Amino acid sequence: MKQYIIRRLLQMIPTLIGISIIIFAISAMVPGDYITARANPNMSIEKQEQLRAIYGLDKPDYQRYFIWAGNMLKGNFGDSMQHKQPVTTVINTYVWNSFIMGIFALFFSWFIAMITGIFSAKFQYSFFDKVVTLLVFICMSLPSFFIGLLLIKFLALDLKLFPVGGMSTSGLNATGWTYFTDVLKHSFLPIMVLTMLSTGSLTRYFRTSMLEVIRQDYIRTARAKGLKERTVIFKHAFRNAMIPAITLLGFELPGLFGGAMILEQIFAWPGIGHIYLNSISMRDYPFMLGFTIFLAMLTLVGNLLADVLYGIADPRIRLK
Amino acid sequence: MTKKWNLMLAVLLSLTVVLSACSGGNNKEANAPATTNDTKETVDTTTPETPVAEDQSSGLIKATDVSLNPELAKNRKDTLIVGMVDPKGVFSPLFMETAYDFYVNYAIFDSFLEVKADGTYVNSLAEKIDVSEDGLKYTYHLKPGVTYSDGSPMKASDYLFTMKLLLDKSYDGESDPLSYHIVGAKEYNEGTSSDISGIKVIDDNTVEVSLTEYSAMSPVELGGVYILPESYYGKGYKQGNLESVKALNNKPLGSGQYKITSYKAGQEIVLAANENYFRGAPIVKNVIFKTTTDSTNMAMIQSGETDMDNINVSEDNVEELKALGFLDINILPNNGYGYIQFNHNEKKFQDPKVRQALTFGLNRSDIVKGIYGPYADVINIPQSKVSWSFTDENIEKYDFNMEKAKTLLDEAGWVVGASGIREKDGEKFKINFSATADNPVVESLLPIMTTNYKELGIEIVSEVLDFNAIMDKKTKGDFDMFFAAWGLTPDPDNTVFITKGAQNDAGYSNAKVDELMAKGKKEMDIEKRKEIYKEMYQELNKDVPMILMYQRTNMTAVNARAQGFDLSPYKEFPFSLYQVQLEQ
Repeated sequence: MKQYIIRRLLQMIPTLIGISIIIFAISAMVPGDYITARANPNMSIEKQEQLRAIYGLDKPDYQRYFIWAGNMLKGNFGDSMQHKQPVTTVINTYVWNSFIMGIFALFFSWFIAMITGIFSAKFQYSFFDKVVTLLVFICMSLPSFFIGLLLIKFLALDLKLFPVGGMSTSGLNATGWTYFTDVLKHSFLPIMVLTMLSTGSLTRYFRTSMLEVIRQDYIRTARAKGLKERTVIFKHAFRNAMIPAITLLGFELPGLFGGAMILEQIFAWPGIGHIYLNSISMRDYPFMLGFTIFLAMLTLVGNLLADVLYGIADPRIRLK
Repeated sequence: MTKKWNLMLAVLLSLTVVLSACSGGNNKEANAPATTNDTKETVDTTTPETPVAEDQSSGLIKATDVSLNPELAKNRKDTLIVGMVDPKGVFSPLFMETAYDFYVNYAIFDSFLEVKADGTYVNSLAEKIDVSEDGLKYTYHLKPGVTYSDGSPMKASDYLFTMKLLLDKSYDGESDPLSYHIVGAKEYNEGTSSDISGIKVIDDNTVEVSLTEYSAMSPVELGGVYILPESYYGKGYKQGNLESVKALNNKPLGSGQYKITSYKAGQEIVLAANENYFRGAPIVKNVIFKTTTDSTNMAMIQSGETDMDNINVSEDNVEELKALGFLDINILPNNGYGYIQFNHNEKKFQDPKVRQALTFGLNRSDIVKGIYGPYADVINIPQSKVSWSFTDENIEKYDFNMEKAKTLLDEAGWVVGASGIREKDGEKFKINFSATADNPVVESLLPIMTTNYKELGIEIVSEVLDFNAIMDKKTKGDFDMFFAAWGLTPDPDNTVFITKGAQNDAGYSNAKVDELMAKGKKEMDIEKRKEIYKEMYQELNKDVPMILMYQRTNMTAVNARAQGFDLSPYKEFPFSLYQVQLEQ
């Protein structure tokens, strides 16, 4: 197992190099740079040249790649042009806000999807199954900005149950428990919408995987042994149905840190998603590339984690 | 999960992420850049009296019933919450770039001069400014007793220090002090001198600046520099390395109305009144700049979570805000305009008759009405209607006139060919229009333009591109026409229409305009400048360097419990924060 992990980690190196070349090449091919994106009508041509020289944008692409990659190896992601701060500082400032939203939404969507998935599989084609399927498809297909704004209108403006947006009450100098509940109140709506959006596909996924397992011989055997239906479903069937879900969980890792661009915008949530989006349209290369690499690394780690967990959960799979 | 899969997924992920860059939305900041620069906002300060355009504040709709105020707002007795797009956290006048970082900095720092509601300037930190006869020497007398928010006194030497930072070799902000022509600036920038010979500190309250050449903008360029305390920012500074100064970007210290007490990135900036402010401590003790977005700003002002915000102007939004009853709604002309650029390097656009025809033949008022309703005007000169240099004397309005357009094209030699398309010397009249993606103006403009020009016998082919891609094409000269919007500085001097000017990427050239612009730049008397620019705008109006589209408006909704703001297109809200009162 140890050997396997080490080997996989070593394999990540060429993968990462490949990724870095590809994303750098694409960003270099995209027209414009930070100076053109700023489009400052008062900036003279001399000043533009001067700034490009300071940012190193005047060098040929291959040189810029090696400078950038070299700095990355030393752990220096460079300075974000928009924020005038090291990229790592900017990521650290915003990513945890996205993480809060991501981790709660992940927890709730998995929890709800598991329960509903199991029951719709158990009672396939029943009224319950049909209602759940309908609800799930509604949640999946409604655009997030629409549900978001609708919820703001009803729950925040009309019923005044929750604040409209943001992450904490302005001017509230609270710490500890008061701060926690304040953030909880603010995060309720965005987490709810995010959960609604991701529960749909997960429910269908769990339902299918459960249906497959329920038809297996060993489930019939378990029933024939005279086990209680609850034990059959939750112990024997559910556990086996969950194994493929591990892979899915591995993929959720980058999503936890990646932020939700549209939702953050709607609820004025200070996450990293819209910072990232902004860096792309403003051609803030250091941040854009740095954060993309960060996400790529998380994806690779998530993959590895999934594979390792898979081996642990399912003895039929042996890792060499 | 095989290895191949891993690799493919990773590649796919990075591909989608980066490819999305190609179609990525063009954000507003990039599209309306002028809100984000101020260093050149200027009018000659030596002639303070300039008439104010009449309709400047006609856009104020007063609140009808303040008692409708939500409890949340009423209960906030000593705090004003301003909603706005999140700043980048660059709280330094040296490095700030976005309009929202500017707003924060305006409240924290001061300069010798300050903009007035009509776009002219008055003394702020300066008690008096002496200008030499030849316009090359400026002596600033600092008001006595000005202190920074930490209580330390402001000195004239701080001005020299700030200029040193701006002229440092490693300075990568957007201010361009080398263009001010200060004596010895270049030497300091190159590191051959450790002092700027043109800035002399005479005593603690007096500083003298010498220039090698002057322009009408010099007084404001020099006087508009936000002064940073050397005692705070100068601690680790060595010539050629601004890292220690940059490190203080999130811990600003200035002499302004407010000081920062806390900053939560992406959420809020909490400001407290500066008790040492030289005009007296601000009345409202706490001001919070809270992050809002286009989708939440209306709801937040409605629920009382914010007291003021900038909200998109549309008939629906204005009606909705009016109905709330407790808001003062300011609708002010935006300092900028939308235009369709011709590529003057293309032969077909070199004939002014063709350019006139394309303007006559485009139903501009329908397009503008379709996008902004009554909240934008079709314009015919590239200047704001509230500027002192604005004129409508002898200005052709280019009202939609298909017949006239056709006649002009016939006169220019473009005659309708067999296919129904106009031709000249065997070349068909075809225009490639580069359209910005996700731009509501382009979406409304393109169908009308295509129909109008088709009737004229011109074929329009459009391609949709990301904003940056169009700017790139503009720089390379690889386009026929595109739509864009940009900002205006209060001073009419610019390089957009000058031959080979910095912003003149379209290759426009007109000797008369060049001559008048050069004359206007050197003239210090505002009345004489008015005449010069009037003539220049008349020439531009005749020559049609671009199809001018509209000047739109901005809407600032303010909770009526906050009174005392002095708002204008030139004077943004932070400048008058100190005089605002909260009525209970």
